[in-house]
Amino acid sequence: MKQFVTRRIGYSLLSLLLLSLTIFLFVRVTGDPAALLVEPGASEQDIAAIHQKFGLDQPLWVQYGLFMANLLRGDFGQSFYYQTPVLELYIDRLPNSLILGLVAMSFSLLVGIPSGILAAVRVGRFWDNAGKLFTLLGLSLPSFFVGLVLILVFSVYLGWLPSSGAGGFLHILMPAFALGWYFAAAHMRLTRSSMLEVLGSEYVKLARLKGLPPSMVIAKHAFKNALIPVLTLAGINLVLMINVAVVVETVFAWPGIGRLLYEGISFRDFPVVQGVVIMGGTMIVAVNLLVDVVYAVIDPRIRLEK
Amino acid sequence: MFKLKEPWPDFITFYSTASGAGWIVPRKYVEKVGEEGFKKAPVGAGPYKFVSFTPGVELVLEAFDQYWRKTPSVKRIVLRVIPDESTRLAALKRGEIDIAYSIRAELAEELQRTPGLTLRPTVGSAPYWLYFPEQWDPKSPWHDHRVRLAAKYALDYNTINQALTLGHSHITGSVIPENFEFYEKLPSPTSDPAKAKQLLTEAGFANGFDAGFYTCDVAYANLAEAAINDLAQVGIRARLRPLERAAFFKGYSEKKFKNIIQGSSGAFGNAATRLGEFVVKGGTYAYGSYPEIDELFPLQAVELDHTKRAGLLSKMQRLLDERTMYVSIWQLAFISGVGPRLDNPGFGLIKGYVYMAPYEEITLKGA
Repeated sequence: MKQFVTRRIGYSLLSLLLLSLTIFLFVRVTGDPAALLVEPGASEQDIAAIHQKFGLDQPLWVQYGLFMANLLRGDFGQSFYYQTPVLELYIDRLPNSLILGLVAMSFSLLVGIPSGILAAVRVGRFWDNAGKLFTLLGLSLPSFFVGLVLILVFSVYLGWLPSSGAGGFLHILMPAFALGWYFAAAHMRLTRSSMLEVLGSEYVKLARLKGLPPSMVIAKHAFKNALIPVLTLAGINLVLMINVAVVVETVFAWPGIGRLLYEGISFRDFPVVQGVVIMGGTMIVAVNLLVDVVYAVIDPRIRLEK
Repeated sequence: MFKLKEPWPDFITFYSTASGAGWIVPRKYVEKVGEEGFKKAPVGAGPYKFVSFTPGVELVLEAFDQYWRKTPSVKRIVLRVIPDESTRLAALKRGEIDIAYSIRAELAEELQRTPGLTLRPTVGSAPYWLYFPEQWDPKSPWHDHRVRLAAKYALDYNTINQALTLGHSHITGSVIPENFEFYEKLPSPTSDPAKAKQLLTEAGFANGFDAGFYTCDVAYANLAEAAINDLAQVGIRARLRPLERAAFFKGYSEKKFKNIIQGSSGAFGNAATRLGEFVVKGGTYAYGSYPEIDELFPLQAVELDHTKRAGLLSKMQRLLDERTMYVSIWQLAFISGVGPRLDNPGFGLIKGYVYMAPYEEITLKGA
């Protein structure tokens, strides 16, 4: 077990190292941030001064070395645009993203799981077809469109909800719905396929043969096992909701991490983009590591794999 | 006290608006709290006091009652960031905000139709133009002055202005903003497609020609699309190449573009600073130059007599127009929306500045 955990931690660290290198190079491929920090038409001297100020005149390997050395000390650098430490910006925005992510996730699970179960139990019938339509819409309607329609209906026409920003319970309803909508469809689809697989298994057939009531078979025997892959996916999705809800947070002016990432990309603020991606990547790697370890504890075959 | 080694008439322009270096701050306070402390709690010489700042989210200001010029009427100003244009308009319609910056085209029309809301266009310091970087290459069609003039007559300036900024932008004949010191008013361009075709025929392009790429900042691709259509109508066939803003200005300054460039500049300064960057030899965005214009530039730079200097700069601008080095399009109108609570939102009080200012002039109805 110890060897397994050590190996998994090693893979995780390697993944993070590769992620840091990829994002470091990727943001620099997109162009020169100095061009966005000066007025159009600024002189070469002004641009050169910006390069010098932010160390962008150094060779790439020197910049990467400094970036990694600072990262190991927990320093994500200073935002070019806001002139504020990236970690400070991230921590300021984190509570808003956590709240939005948790509410959106709750919505997506509350809608996705029951509808997935219903579709699997009534496979090929009305509820299954309705579920398929819901999945199709959920996965294909872009969240910016859903967001703008929600604003138009509930803010402008009905006047029930605030159009944007954070502040109270009413502020979170539309962004959480727009964000959770896609994930509800994804969770519904996975729950349906997982339930169908479990419902066709031998032990469920046996439970039915023993004369257990259908509700008991579904709730006690099938549902529990079908839930495992859904919750695993939900864990990863929650990290995504917290870190990369770029479109929803931008449309609703929600002051979260997704919007910070949008600002970082828009202003070519390398430290901000790097910081948000690395924090998000670290969370995903940590969740995956945790899942791997839990699986290994439950199933000895996994930890004995080479 | 500043002591200069040689005459530099533009020193104040560079020190204040062009570089933004001349902010007035209390020296003792800055020395006491340091740079970091000052960023967290800045103190200036304006009509409002800093209350809080959440980067990228909002800035809260409170009126400073003893401001030397006048006591501000509005006690508290909250500047919120709402990145999406449609959301800004929705917030304005609901009365969640009183002013929404930058509402364009169809949304501006919607704003105009909404009872209680007012459209407030202000013309800033950013002229837009077409530039032909190959005009100094004898093999290029753009080398022929008649071809450049044809492009100038091809554009339907008023229709473009009406469609994109509801007619509020200023059609201009210059690359120098009209609010700049030493600006020379040149004749505004007019649309005349028949004359454009005639000029092309005289230049040997009776069937038009393939003009290659029309490169622009993607944020203003709507202007580029309209211009390309107009150019095509007279036979100048160009292909749109929109680039992300930073990539555009990098390529522009590194002189990597060919064919047609749709350029603009919102940099502060005066006519001389603008000519220095875009027109004369060695300018960051000058792909070539005309000697008769170049030779006037160093003369004006050391001329301390304001009238004589204005004369030199005026001559440079007229020569620029005569050569059709640029085809100026418009000085862009920045359209904002104002809600029913405001009496004077403060737009247009400072010429060339597109945002509400000065803040002490903003008043609410009934205040």
